[in-house]
Amino acid sequence: MKNKESKSHLPLRLNLLFFLIFLLFSMLILQLGVVQILYGQDAQEEIDRTDQDTSETPVPRGRMFDRTGELIVDNEPILAITYTPPKNVQPDDNLEIAEQLVDYIEVTSDGLLSRVTERDVEDYWILQNFEEAYSRLDDEELELSDSEQYQLVLDRVTDEDLDEISDEEMNVIALFRELNQASALTPHIIKRDIENDEYAVIAENLNRFPGINVTTDWDRVHLFGGSFSNLIGGITTTRQGIPDENLDYFLSRNYSRNDRVGRSGLEDQYEQYLAGQKEVREHITDSSGNVISSELIREGERGKDLVLSVDMELQQRLDEIVGEELTEAIEEHPNEHLNIAMAVMMDPNTGEILAMSGQRYDRDEEDENERLVDESVRVVIDAYMPGSTIKGATVLAGFEEGVISPGEVMSDRTIRLPGDAGDDNTFSSHRRLNSLNDIGALRESSNVYMGFIALRMNDELRHQYDFRNTVMNRTREGYQSMINYYGQFGLGVETGIDFPSETSGTTDPYGDVPLPGELMDYSIGQFFNYSTLQMGQYVSTIANGGYRIAPSLVRQMHSAGDTDGLGPLYKANEPKILNRVDMDDHYIERVQEGFRQAFQESGGTGTTYFGDKDYNPAGKTGTAEDAVYNRGEKIADVNNLNLVGYAPFDDPEVAFAVAVPHTDPNSDHRTNLRIGERALDAYFELQEERQGTTEEELEDEVELEEDNSEEE
Amino acid sequence: MNNTGNDKKLDTFLIFIMTALVAISCITLYTLQPHLPGYLSDNNFYLLQLMWFVVGTVGIALIMILDFDRYRKLAWPVYILGILMLAGLFVWGDTRLGATRWYDLPIGSIQPSEFMKVFLVIALAHVITSHNEKWTHKDLKYDLLLLGKIVALTLPPFALIAMQPDLGSSLVIMSIMGFLILISGIRWRVILVILGLFTLIGTALAAMYLLYTEQFIDFINEYTPFGHAIHRIQAWQDPHLYEQSSAMQVIRSMLVIGSGELSGKGIGNFELYIPERHTDMIFTAIAEQFGFIGSSIVIILFFLMIYRIIQIALVCRDPFGTYLAVGFVGMFSYQIFQNIGMSIQLLPLTGLPLPFLSYGGTSLLVYMAAIGLVLNIQSRKKEYMFETDD
Repeated sequence: MKNKESKSHLPLRLNLLFFLIFLLFSMLILQLGVVQILYGQDAQEEIDRTDQDTSETPVPRGRMFDRTGELIVDNEPILAITYTPPKNVQPDDNLEIAEQLVDYIEVTSDGLLSRVTERDVEDYWILQNFEEAYSRLDDEELELSDSEQYQLVLDRVTDEDLDEISDEEMNVIALFRELNQASALTPHIIKRDIENDEYAVIAENLNRFPGINVTTDWDRVHLFGGSFSNLIGGITTTRQGIPDENLDYFLSRNYSRNDRVGRSGLEDQYEQYLAGQKEVREHITDSSGNVISSELIREGERGKDLVLSVDMELQQRLDEIVGEELTEAIEEHPNEHLNIAMAVMMDPNTGEILAMSGQRYDRDEEDENERLVDESVRVVIDAYMPGSTIKGATVLAGFEEGVISPGEVMSDRTIRLPGDAGDDNTFSSHRRLNSLNDIGALRESSNVYMGFIALRMNDELRHQYDFRNTVMNRTREGYQSMINYYGQFGLGVETGIDFPSETSGTTDPYGDVPLPGELMDYSIGQFFNYSTLQMGQYVSTIANGGYRIAPSLVRQMHSAGDTDGLGPLYKANEPKILNRVDMDDHYIERVQEGFRQAFQESGGTGTTYFGDKDYNPAGKTGTAEDAVYNRGEKIADVNNLNLVGYAPFDDPEVAFAVAVPHTDPNSDHRTNLRIGERALDAYFELQEERQGTTEEELEDEVELEEDNSEEE
Repeated sequence: MNNTGNDKKLDTFLIFIMTALVAISCITLYTLQPHLPGYLSDNNFYLLQLMWFVVGTVGIALIMILDFDRYRKLAWPVYILGILMLAGLFVWGDTRLGATRWYDLPIGSIQPSEFMKVFLVIALAHVITSHNEKWTHKDLKYDLLLLGKIVALTLPPFALIAMQPDLGSSLVIMSIMGFLILISGIRWRVILVILGLFTLIGTALAAMYLLYTEQFIDFINEYTPFGHAIHRIQAWQDPHLYEQSSAMQVIRSMLVIGSGELSGKGIGNFELYIPERHTDMIFTAIAEQFGFIGSSIVIILFFLMIYRIIQIALVCRDPFGTYLAVGFVGMFSYQIFQNIGMSIQLLPLTGLPLPFLSYGGTSLLVYMAAIGLVLNIQSRKKEYMFETDD
């Protein structure tokens, strides 16, 4: 038997093999014993280990009221669908929800579809065609990291692949995209502003969609439309979330990435008060991400309501006045460079801004009624040459430096300066004036008087009108003290307004001491640019007797109340005195008197408009000769028409500044004065109306009481 | 299962074990179904597995029709068919997750390497039998020639499968070869030399890996298709270092198996998500639900199955039958040890199904065919013995 012989080795070797297999299988059982019996408990504990997570639910933002209690900015509740994903949610789970939800949610509205990016579609395609997508990688590429592999797979999705995707699937993708944006255990709004019937259908079927819920969200509403909204500013949308440039700032303050935050204006400035405190819950999850328990850690609290300093009725009237006057100026004196007029009205004693308006005229707008654009923020951020309005500060600087004395008289004649230009290099007033003292110089706006103050401050003490063929003095100290004096009134420094951005105007651009002619220009507001708000702060400082007070837009913050009205006071913004000008009251009174005469006495530059007013106004006009440049090249000479003032003279309650830059130098349209006059009129009319109504109301009440007593 | 005729006695023990394993598979797939990820939830895997079992049973019946030694004539055709199928993958194969292992046919996908395992066993058994029939005298020439034939036959499928790449299946091919070399009749001295050589090479590789890890990995990545295997080895060495990436599966698998403890968590109680749980990782589902007791029973069932096949190999008096049976022992025992070993961190991860338990049409059919052949060997031995006794 051949076979038997050749197989004689078999039993031994097969038994050996069998023994080997026995050993291997014993090892399996042994290791299983170690894993399951010896360390089984540990494994179970590891699985049972729970995680703590917190979730935050946003609260409505604080509202804004005007100083009279009128609601300006409100939250309008809207219906929304949210998705709160469990922990460790897989894309597959989200896709499944999206596929079911697509039958219930109208995807075409709320821009859901329009937000779908090509990347979203590619992601979806890869998920649906996982194997095919990855089969496009070769062996070498499969060694790459997961994310690198995915990037390659993405790159290789072709247009033909994407063409396979139907419209119906696009709807799924739109929802899928939204679901994927949600972070674990935190509600994410999938669709806002849903209709009532859509709401009802979803609400009925909630149990079919894990994590989906219907809730109310809110929209910011400006009840006064465009008026003042430029200063209120805006907030980001849920999709924009917290702005990238401030990411760290917000994240370190417990914001989530999709939180709506103030983006500009007061919404930005008062973000920390308006935002409120989110409701915080702590969830305990097991290792598979199931929530075992939830606990409220901190109650949510609606944002603080702001009471603004602005008087919306006055604001609306000021908007109207500025807009109308600008339109008229443009229509009657066509000038392509004039396109904006600005005005600010404030309480000189507290710095509270009562109204602030900047109206831009849009010549390209077809509809005549739509040409005015609210750009009130430019009151704060745009700076223009102020012209003679700053002469009050010049005279005060002269007094304080001791270079002029109260009542000092000078002859207002043309000053000739050294230089090649010969006769052209002169310095004179807007028209030939008589000899004037300090008050007269303010009343009639003498440039020459101011020019001498500037020269004397710079150690050029010769009182002569012809400096040709001489060398004129100028000193660094003199120049620096001019900068300092104007700065005490807020000219060339920040006003300190509670607003995210403001200009400090031009600050010394040279470093070198300017030429004597330029120093003289400086004294008449022909050198540096200032914002309209800075001019308002300047005139307030003169009106209130020398206190530079930071302008403010917000008076008070109130905690959320139970009712629609204001809750308890949380914090009041006290007037912030930035500095007291270091000048004698007596000197300030002289400047005040000069301002009064400029508005009320014959020869005053504003008397034509303010002479007959019974509210006792004071102020200063200013026309700066400016030029419009295009790429460094002068294209036109223009005038900046400015005005500052306050009333009543003896007990100021309102100060104002007006700027109408870039008007036609050949027109005599006094837009600045017209705006100033109408603005002050409006203010006092409004005060009277309110006085009237309160009295009438009182009378009504008295009558009612009388009626009652009669009945009794 | 008596459709093969009255004169042939079927090995009910082996059939019982196989049926028990498939039953455990169906029960596990049924309990696992609700816990599978969304994209798999449309398939009822337990029903599909049952369907494939029925198909496989018909296959066994067909295999039983012919006497097993008739299959020797088929050895070369099936071997060549297998090689062609493997080679054809490079042209028509369907690539998933970077590996080209499947044909995508309308009835489902087919994995030729699974068939190749059985075809190789048949071809090797045939070649060894023929060699032994021709050479009655054993000398070094006999040994080396036989060894050369075995290696020459094994190398093409091994290389083709390794290039897919499919480390797991190529190691199964190696295991089949190793088992058959051991019992082919090659003398101990040659075997010991080979063993010594392998030990030397293995030690050298291990030393290089441990001493010059980075360079070694670079080399593997650059010149071999086994770059992905290195990750698995690293993950196996130190799972917690690679917790978030390659070792995630090992860690989770260890956790769920461990948490099954002695008697398991009970039917349908799964706590963690594990990828491929209905296929390669099905053992974790058994261990988690039924604990040490359940998983030990499964291992014992497998052990009994192998014991029975070895017994049949021993009793069989036709060497071809013995070689066939031992080839299948090599296939089964390696797959079982590798699959279970990797889920309890005895071995690094490779993608290999657990015979009869993992869901998969091709693999179930192939393993049932192997059992069919073994049954065939067992059922004919009596006739054979009767003839020789006569």
